[in-house]
Amino acid sequence: MSGSRSKSVVIWAFVLAAIAMLSAPTIVVLGASFTAGNMIEFPPQGFSLKWYSAILSATDLRDAFFRSVYVAALNTIIAIPIGTLAGIALAKYKVRLENTIQVYLLLPFTIPLIGSGIGLMLVFGNAGALGQLWPVAIACCVINLPFMIWAVTASASNLSNDLELAAANCGAPPVQTFLYITLPAVLPGVITGSLLMFILGLNEFLVSLLLVDARSVTLPVQIYNSIRSIITPDLAAISVVFIVCAGVAVTLLDRLVGLDIFLKSK
Amino acid sequence: MRTYRVAYPLTWRAMDVLEAFVAFVWPPSFRAAVPYLFLLPALILVGLLVLGLIQIADTSMRVLDRDTFLLSDAYSLDNYRRALTEPFFATIAGRSIIGSLIVTVITLVFAFPYAYLMVRTSSSALRKFLLVALFLPFFIGQVVRAYGWLIILGNQGIVNDILGHAGIPTLRLLYNYPAVLFGLVQYMLPFAVLMLAPALTAIPEELEAAAGSLGASWLKTFRHVVLPLARPGLVGAGLVVMTLSLTDFAIPAMLGGGSQDFIANAIYDQFFRTSDQGLGATLSLLLVAVGSLLVGVVFTAFGAGTLAMGGRRK
Repeated sequence: MSGSRSKSVVIWAFVLAAIAMLSAPTIVVLGASFTAGNMIEFPPQGFSLKWYSAILSATDLRDAFFRSVYVAALNTIIAIPIGTLAGIALAKYKVRLENTIQVYLLLPFTIPLIGSGIGLMLVFGNAGALGQLWPVAIACCVINLPFMIWAVTASASNLSNDLELAAANCGAPPVQTFLYITLPAVLPGVITGSLLMFILGLNEFLVSLLLVDARSVTLPVQIYNSIRSIITPDLAAISVVFIVCAGVAVTLLDRLVGLDIFLKSK
Repeated sequence: MRTYRVAYPLTWRAMDVLEAFVAFVWPPSFRAAVPYLFLLPALILVGLLVLGLIQIADTSMRVLDRDTFLLSDAYSLDNYRRALTEPFFATIAGRSIIGSLIVTVITLVFAFPYAYLMVRTSSSALRKFLLVALFLPFFIGQVVRAYGWLIILGNQGIVNDILGHAGIPTLRLLYNYPAVLFGLVQYMLPFAVLMLAPALTAIPEELEAAAGSLGASWLKTFRHVVLPLARPGLVGAGLVVMTLSLTDFAIPAMLGGGSQDFIANAIYDQFFRTSDQGLGATLSLLLVAVGSLLVGVVFTAFGAGTLAMGGRRK
């Protein structure tokens, strides 16, 4: 950045305000989780890990957490083959009606989440599947699928037609070519996409809220339900789980593809 | 012959079987159809959404019988009449639309300098810090972030504690319209910055230097060079922020405390409190129509931005 001092001052003022807005909730939740008091107060009443031991023995929170992990894992496992194949098809082949197909595959982004959630609720409800966890996983997979496809197509620049032809020329039949040439080329995209799918599945709130019943609440829904009654530090401690997961995801994403990829122009 | 068998590893034999099997179920003459085969599972999965929309449309035309609490078998447009004429829904729609407009403007005002600094800074450490500060909240999820704001702004929250120590009586900072708008702004910031950044990357820095060397102040350069060139990004980011905040559920529910419902909250209430599925479906369909229209405009006018799938090479 170049320019005068006043420009830096103005820009930094906005950026610092934005950073404060973005990170304040995270920092506060982290701080509140270590409080020694029974209420969340400022200044905090000393340091303790008692709320972490409290959540370890709280079966409802723990069960909800494992349900969330299950949903996130299942949704990622479904998304990997489906998104990878679709991404390869879009990136590598000339497909008829490609624009129409793209618009169609972007439907999960264009339809507001509440609309998708209500629609899937009606579909799974009519099929008598509500109250189980797999519909939640499938729903998470549907609404985030464009991320997976995007990640794969973005890494498809490594995909060289010549390499595949060379493999074929050396006598590799189609399946071998696909397994040894095509798949490894898009692997970084598959990993990025899976990471996004997992973390977004872990956090998914609205669609879970619509699809779960009292026996199958996921962690975000559980936190949401508990918040409405009273604010206690055990919720802060369990929220730290999400913060840690997000931290791991950001670190992995940066290591694997570099966050700078999101700054590139088309 | 025997040595040959030993030298031919098991994996090769497995591959041969696999190749033969694939060649059998999908003969080479079908090769042209391979991409469609690859696309099929994704098309089916997204088809669930289409199925959902059809279900919503069907339900939206059935009226709730107040005596039996069952939906009617006959179709009628009564729900649409109610949704469009009852003042209650007009209030909520008005609150959501005005709210999303305000949120869009404020978000862009903060997102633009953020994206600008992130793209233009020569320090890669600063760039990384700004990116992490952006992605972390994005990955933490709405509920936890809203919970953080409850701790900060609540009646026994941090801000009121500090004010209390200074002798200022407790302020009601939550469960009002500004709290919801504030929550939405900070929720939307990452989306807006990530939509703006590629547009700003595309503006050559030399253009700004040239304007500067011709005597333009930075404000003038900003107004006459950077802003016009960033317009596609600004419009794209603005429309995305507007749709997402117009249709948001969690922030109005948690920071509005039931008194500041947006359209999504009204839909939820129709399904889970009033149990009028027909009216709820009608509201959903109307919201889907408005939301899809907005995003559709973005995608046709500016492309899908960083989210464009395929398109680049071939």
